Amino acid sequence: MIFQANPFEQLLAVLAYWDRFLTGFLLTMWMYVWALFLGFLLGLLLALSRQYGHFFIQKIAIIYIEIIRGTPLIAQLFFISFLPNALNFSIDIMIIETNLFNRSFRLLDYPIFVGILTLILNSGAYQAEYLRGSFVSVGTGQLEAARAIGMSRFSSIRHIVLPQALRRVIPSWSNEAAYLPKYTVLVYFIGGVEELFSQADYIQHRTSFPFATYIIVAILFLITITLISKLLDTIHKRTSIPGL
Amino acid sequence: MVEPLLRVSDVSKSYDELQVLKDVSFDLLERDVKVIFGPSGSGKSTLLRCINMLNPPDKGKIFLRGNNITAPKVDLNTIRTRIGMVFQHFNLFAHLKAIDNVSIGLRRVKGLKKQEAYEKAFKALDRVKLTEWADHYPAQLSGGQQQRVGIARALAMEPDLILFDEPTSALDPELIGEVLQVMLDLAKAGTTMLVVTHEMGFARAVASELLFIDKGIIIERGTPEHFSVSPTSDRVKQFLQQLDVLYGSHEKLLDILDEEEKI
Repeated sequence: MIFQANPFEQLLAVLAYWDRFLTGFLLTMWMYVWALFLGFLLGLLLALSRQYGHFFIQKIAIIYIEIIRGTPLIAQLFFISFLPNALNFSIDIMIIETNLFNRSFRLLDYPIFVGILTLILNSGAYQAEYLRGSFVSVGTGQLEAARAIGMSRFSSIRHIVLPQALRRVIPSWSNEAAYLPKYTVLVYFIGGVEELFSQADYIQHRTSFPFATYIIVAILFLITITLISKLLDTIHKRTSIPGL
Repeated sequence: MVEPLLRVSDVSKSYDELQVLKDVSFDLLERDVKVIFGPSGSGKSTLLRCINMLNPPDKGKIFLRGNNITAPKVDLNTIRTRIGMVFQHFNLFAHLKAIDNVSIGLRRVKGLKKQEAYEKAFKALDRVKLTEWADHYPAQLSGGQQQRVGIARALAMEPDLILFDEPTSALDPELIGEVLQVMLDLAKAGTTMLVVTHEMGFARAVASELLFIDKGIIIERGTPEHFSVSPTSDRVKQFLQQLDVLYGSHEKLLDILDEEEKI
């Protein structure tokens, strides 16, 4: 009979690798934050193009959004990852690394770049649709009123629609903020990125306690996403318009 | 001859197959008030939206102080600062306090400094008797107050004329009075106004001319006296009678109810 440690001992054995959990987690969050914020800028650009752009620009935005939303993220990751090779060119990505817990900690190299880039391109399409929904919900009446006092189209969108749309989008946008950490783990499949799942894979092989390992991973996500939700909830309340 | 402040000349507008305005022409002199009325869907709102070029007309010309604003390459943003607009549903900027609703045009369009814009906006709020509510957001104001902020927003830009698109028809009866009072004050102070409304009392008090529009055509025009004493077309008589039943003679409304009960 194979020796089986009790659950508590399993957790302790796994937690002995706390530094790997932590560096993996930090790398996952690092990619997440870039993807969320640059994805937001891309989403804003796409949503503005789709909602207020000229015919041709609208079509480009729609096609982009539909392609991204209609294909699996994992396929997009492989696509971006293999693209340079398939087209016979190479990209030199600067390597940025630092030291964390006496181990080198990579913030940027080619696979990390591919991961972040793909997540930005992917998340941008989803964020665009949340944003567009909130542009629509502000309605055309205020935009007309702004034009009627002589504001340009750009100025009306910038000063009237955007401040309200960005407030209104928070509850639905928090969906994306909560989903994205979990999408980020797919970067594991391009290989060579020491994010949380690759670290977890290492730990479960070393300890032979996969259950305990992935429980820790799950708890890390649960805590993180709960905090993100709470934070966005607070921001939503703080920025609400009095009387509405 | 005095040049009219606003000249609308043979303006036509269609939405797809539907022709909303057909060869509408009239003049508006400086300090003049004209009222447009007619059944819903007759093109009244579209006419106002053609005048400030929110919906440019398909045919015809509009002149503001002799300048053709329907000509190509006219800077519409500048033109619109000279034509105020008050909306049926107020269309206040929901994220801005009353004072910011009124001053944003001064700041973002006319480029005034915040302090100077606030001073002017405060004067505009004073004209609609809302200075005490300057720091309130639209959602914290009653419908009547919101519409007065809407009027102040138009006033603050110091436009040549103000267009009113059914300014009281989205309001509770008790709130209509305060808005009409503000509009009467403006009219008496010499503001040039073009008002779409069914408030015949307001029209009688300040309008020099009433235009009755149906199906995109000015069917009849004349002084308030003309419409109250001797309207000529049957369509106008029928419409005025309906207004009279709804807003005027209580007995006639009871008659209608009685007749309905008999049936």
